[in-house]
Order: sequence, then C-alpha cells, then structure tokens
Amino acid sequence: MSKSQNTFDQLLKENKHKIYRICRIYAATPIEPQDLFQEVIFQIWKSLPNFKGNSSINTWVYRITLNVCLRTKTNLDKSNNKTTRLDAIHFTPVTETVEPLELEKFKYLKECIATLNESDTSIIVMYLDELSYKEMAEIIGLSENHIAVKMKRIRKKLFECITPKLN
Amino acid sequence: MLEQELKNIWKNSSETAQISIETDRLVKEFDTKMTNIQKKIRKRDVREISASVFGILLFSYFVYEIPFTITKLSCFLSILWFIYVIYKFKKSNQKNSSENLTLPIKEQLDHKKQLMQHQLKLLNSAGYWYAGPSFITNFIFIIGLENPADYNWTNSIAENLLPLTFNAKLGTIIGLGVFYLITIGVHKIAAKKDVQPILKTIEDIQQQLNNSN
Repeated sequence: MSKSQNTFDQLLKENKHKIYRICRIYAATPIEPQDLFQEVIFQIWKSLPNFKGNSSINTWVYRITLNVCLRTKTNLDKSNNKTTRLDAIHFTPVTETVEPLELEKFKYLKECIATLNESDTSIIVMYLDELSYKEMAEIIGLSENHIAVKMKRIRKKLFECITPKLN
Repeated sequence: MLEQELKNIWKNSSETAQISIETDRLVKEFDTKMTNIQKKIRKRDVREISASVFGILLFSYFVYEIPFTITKLSCFLSILWFIYVIYKFKKSNQKNSSENLTLPIKEQLDHKKQLMQHQLKLLNSAGYWYAGPSFITNFIFIIGLENPADYNWTNSIAENLLPLTFNAKLGTIIGLGVFYLITIGVHKIAAKKDVQPILKTIEDIQQQLNNSN
C-alpha cells in the first residue's frame, strides 16, 4: 500500500461514521445515504493529493462532506445523481444491537433537524459532533461571532422541537 | 443535560450500520470511475465540437465550389462563427469543471452561483451568440445565390440542394427563421426551468448563511 493510500485508509477509518451520519441527514429520495457517502469519499480521494495542511484534516473532511451534500440541491446535471454502488463499500445493518428506543430518539432528532433550513442544518450537524465555533467558522466561511449568534437561535429551535418528543 | 443527550443520540446513530471498506479495491474502483468520467467529458467535447468542425469543412467546400461572391463571403463568416462556437463551448466547459469542494461552504456557494449565472446568461443570450449570427450568415448565403448559368457553373448536387429560385429562397429563409426562433425558445425554457430554480436555491442558502437570525 502506498503512502497516500495509507493516509486515505486512515482517514476513512477515522471519519467514516461521522461522514455517514451527515449523509443520513442530507439524503433525500432518490438519493440514498450510501450514495452520498460514496460520493463524499470519492471527492475526498480526488482532493487528497491537493491537501496542503492549511486547515486541519477534520475541517477539510467536513468541508468536502457538507459541500457534496449541499451540491445535491444545486446540481444542474441530474445524471450525476445516478450513482453506481461500489463493491468495495459494505453497509451491514446492525439493528439487533441497537435499542429500539435509541432508534426512535434518532428518528425524532432527524425530524427536528428536517425542520431547519439548509444553512442551519449544516451548523447543527457540526454542533452535534462537538466542533468548536472556530472550526465551524472555518468550514462555513463565517466569523466565529456570527456562528455563535446563529447557534444560539438554532439550539433554541431544536430544543423546542425535540423536548416534547423525548418526554 | 438535553444538549449532551442529543449529542449522544447523534453519535450513536451511525452504529445502526457497520461500514466496511476495502481500501485497495476502492482505490481501483475510484480509478475506473475517474477514467470513465474523463471519457464522458471527452465524448461530450467531441460531440459538441464535431458539429462545428463539420460546419467548417462544409462551408470551406462551399467557398471553394460556389462562384457567387456574396455567398462566398457568408461562408467565410460562417466559418468564423463556427470557430467562435468551439471557443465558447471550450471556455464554458472549463468554467463548469472548475469545482473545488474543499472551499468553505460560503465560498463554494459564491463560486457555484457565478457558474449558474454564467450558464443562465449563456442560455438567455442564445439569440445573440447562436441563433442571430447563424441566421444572418444563412440569410446572406441564400440572398447571394445567383443563376449558375451566368457563371458557367455546373454542379448537379449543389443545384438540386441550393434554393436558387425566389420561392425556394423565401421558403428556406422563413423555415430557418422559424427554426432559430424555436431554438431561442428552447434555450429560454432551459434557463427558466433548469438554471433559475438552482440559482434561487443557492441564493436562499446564501441568504440563510448571511442572516444572523
């Protein structure tokens, strides 16, 4: 395995679940989370040789993931939406080890995130992944203060939506 | 408390699927995918350019074969126009393929908006850069056609194909006019139906990002 392939392999190991979580939020019929996931890692693979280390790898992965997810809504060439599934990626459902209550809670969370607009959705997924305001600002391209103001409002909206559901 | 609970729900959500990736195989599949994408781009370029290349060859032949001065001049203009179309396609395709997904979301949206605005302008101005010049050169070509006997010119194929009588000239000009009007309409519909909604989505997201509330 070459050095760049090793880096890619390591990057996938560390980020695959994080990427998949975001893809699950943005995927909308006819695009499945697996299709989005595949496209994100394809774009990571394509962009990796140009990664200069000006930002952290975490920020860089987030930028690609969110840009690819948002691109599904702003794509002129609809033929790009038809994805051929790759054999090298396997998704195996593990529902037996996941508590039904956990699944239900996630369903509520997903429903509440769906009430947010595109911009707020991208911020909330980073918040849930515990990114700092500085990292969020670098990914989105806004100032930290701007993110903080937005975050206050989005959090309030999310809490108001989910609290009655969880109770 | 709620904050931490939500973060836990979020982080546990990816445990519903086990994701296994065979990196060696994946890299090979990506290499194939990349080659296929490049092939598709090359095919598209060839498709777009071949019509213009065919036009250049055809009108070069006309310049050589047809003796009428005004028609010859229109052929030169047509050749120039075909060269311009090739340049326009190349430039547009270069712009469209300059996507950089590692940019911050705001910058990426600005870039995408510029591309869409360019696309919109291209479609809406098809009358000026595509249909208009094309119709004018075709019009001059037809008007310039004279009586072959005056030039001692004999070419049975050309004589059968070219509109040499007044009625044939009028009919061809009207037909071409209708064709180019339809072409302009098709471009306008594509701009309205395909590009404008995307531009609006981009502007909506940009507005959402810029709003503090």
